[in-house]
Amino acid sequence: MDFRPSPAQQILISTARAFLRQHCSPELVQRLALDAHGFDETLWRRMAELGWPGLLIPLELGGSEGSLLDVILLTEEMGRVALPAPFVPSAVVATSLVLAAGSPAQQKRLLPALAAGERVATLALVEETGSFDLDGVTLECAVPGRLTGRKLFVRDAHIADDLIVAVRVGADLSLILLPTDQPGIAWLPLDTISGEKVFEVTFEGVDVRPEDLLGCAGGAADILASALRAGALARTAEMVGGAQRIVELAVEHAKTRVQGGRPIGGYQAIQHACADLVRDVDASRALLYAAAWRVCEGRPAEADVALAKAYAGEACLTAARRGHQIFGAISYCEEHPLHLVHKRIQAAGLEFGDSSHHLETVARAIGLAS
Amino acid sequence: MDFDFTDGERAFAEEVRGFLHANPPETFAVDGMDAGYGSGANSRAFLRALGAQGWLSMCWPKTHGGREAPMFMKLVLMEELALAGAPFGPLAGVWQTADAIIDFGTERLRRELLPAIARGEATFWQGYSEPDAGSDLLALKTEARRDGEHYVIRGHKIWSSHAGIATHGLVFARTSREARRSRGFSMFVVANGTPGMDIRPIRSLTGEVYHHEVFLDEVRVSAELMLGPEGDGFQALLNGLDADRFWGRFYKAPALERVLRQLVSYANTTEVRGVPLARDPGVRRRLAAIAADIAALRLIFYRAGCLIRDGAPLTYETAMAKVYADETGQKLARLGMDLLGVWGPLREGSRWAKLGGQISHLYLTTLGHTIAGGTAEILRSSVAVRGLGLPAEPKVAVESRR
Repeated sequence: MDFRPSPAQQILISTARAFLRQHCSPELVQRLALDAHGFDETLWRRMAELGWPGLLIPLELGGSEGSLLDVILLTEEMGRVALPAPFVPSAVVATSLVLAAGSPAQQKRLLPALAAGERVATLALVEETGSFDLDGVTLECAVPGRLTGRKLFVRDAHIADDLIVAVRVGADLSLILLPTDQPGIAWLPLDTISGEKVFEVTFEGVDVRPEDLLGCAGGAADILASALRAGALARTAEMVGGAQRIVELAVEHAKTRVQGGRPIGGYQAIQHACADLVRDVDASRALLYAAAWRVCEGRPAEADVALAKAYAGEACLTAARRGHQIFGAISYCEEHPLHLVHKRIQAAGLEFGDSSHHLETVARAIGLAS
Repeated sequence: MDFDFTDGERAFAEEVRGFLHANPPETFAVDGMDAGYGSGANSRAFLRALGAQGWLSMCWPKTHGGREAPMFMKLVLMEELALAGAPFGPLAGVWQTADAIIDFGTERLRRELLPAIARGEATFWQGYSEPDAGSDLLALKTEARRDGEHYVIRGHKIWSSHAGIATHGLVFARTSREARRSRGFSMFVVANGTPGMDIRPIRSLTGEVYHHEVFLDEVRVSAELMLGPEGDGFQALLNGLDADRFWGRFYKAPALERVLRQLVSYANTTEVRGVPLARDPGVRRRLAAIAADIAALRLIFYRAGCLIRDGAPLTYETAMAKVYADETGQKLARLGMDLLGVWGPLREGSRWAKLGGQISHLYLTTLGHTIAGGTAEILRSSVAVRGLGLPAEPKVAVESRR
């Protein structure tokens, strides 16, 4: 057993931390959160130069051929600074789908551009039930045919070049790959407290041709489930990174903020709150790494991913809220960085299944009859 | 990263399961109560059976009769024993005492005790706490006065687990009055039955005896029975506490896993108002959430185990892990009582008791866990001060307390 990242992974972590410290300040995150477009192309291009969007993509298709564990370590760093970028929707989820289901032609057309950060792709899955359960997909589409309907909570649809739309074919699911400039597609922003850019995407008689299918007709369920697991792990990593940042900020504050003649970190009430922060983060991270490792090893990991996301969703959000209490009034200000990380944790806890969604998976895995 | 066991570890786990199959844990006579920590009841016969397998001394140096097995084998053994509900109560304490004797013990301690420990015949109680020295251990008053080649111990120890059925006490006493507050303490290995030692049981709220108080009235022990450096015993004790918390709680996650499986089975087979308990969304949610806690707890302990194996420094890890283990155990016991409803409080052996009446026992024993071996409050402060570098609370001068 070994809980340590490899030397190469440690370099990835330290490079990412240094880069994000320099290029992703709280001021930038705040500005992008308040801006309706909220996308920094220069920052995204720099990330692409580091090979990040191509981390899951093979070398021969322009990627850097890393593992999901590498992606998790990187997204943990992104979570520390609440990086606003389409990394998880495009470089993790959409890329996983194209890798798993794309034809050689589709892969050749999309993956090098995704790896270079020149294209951004995103998944349109959730509908009006708000559920990430695949049973919640009811939008039907004949292929060839016309697609009419809507999807909700689509990340970064406004900057995406490609949409991967999950549709129902009887009892089965299919994936359709559509360029966002196709006639009949429109997106309306959903204004959320996190500042993440999420949209309602509407389809009005959009022309769908057989070559727009991603993977075989009706064969998307397993591929989707696997990509959603990757997304859930990446979002968990963001939560863990964010909560780790909160620990560091809160401890620093507790050491330097003087009240009653001594640092507040000298009072047991604050000490114990800080001790619980560490437990929440350490436990979340251990479950995250173990689950990601199992996925990388090709072992059954559905329950492990569910455990990790359900646990972090509760523990990291608790850590964020406790962080505000440790900081006191100053953290209520917009210019203080804590709320940015808190809101990121809040958003990440919901995407790709909230805690109750994942706890149901755990309930089945531990043998509870349903 | 690697979250799996090695081939050797897996093979050993298989060997332990084979042993448990051939020697069903429930067939061993029980000498002392299961305190709910996960190490089961205190069974001298079971400990001797472990000794006969060579497992008590497997990690010792060859020069002391061991076979230098890797430390992780102990984790594998404990995990398998806990999952099976085996009565290995004294095991962790025995291992730690043996390690201390190998590291600092005199020739006499090594010669007299290591073979007995290896056979599973020697077990130890801790004489640390005193009536006025609980969380403030340095307030202890027991003294050991040098008299030629002997020390004469006088004092009063309390909360010593299983002292009545152990063979030796580890008595922590002041050996010098001159030294400053944290210096001048030493540890002695005192055989039960030494003249002047009076061990009295304390009946606990479970109705059984687990703790004892020990009166030491001019107990005369050879200087060769001092364990560790004279006068620096407190530092040695503090250093040992990290290990104490680790070895004393490592098996809690697998033990809770075992209880969880029983509760899942109970929920699947019990109907409330005509509906299986397992289909109640609240029940599902609570059982799944605690399964996540147990999984996290297990990993936290394995991470600390890796640090210990690799000789990496520990600051907050075991203190944090102990609190988490004890609070998770309390949470599971509470959940178990909720699921069992009116059947919950029925004792083992009672008519109508469910799950062998063990949930009510767990409910009561786990109450003490956030107090014993460092309270949750002391340990959270330790995580904050030693782990995070927060300033310690100022000590209130003794004079101003009066």
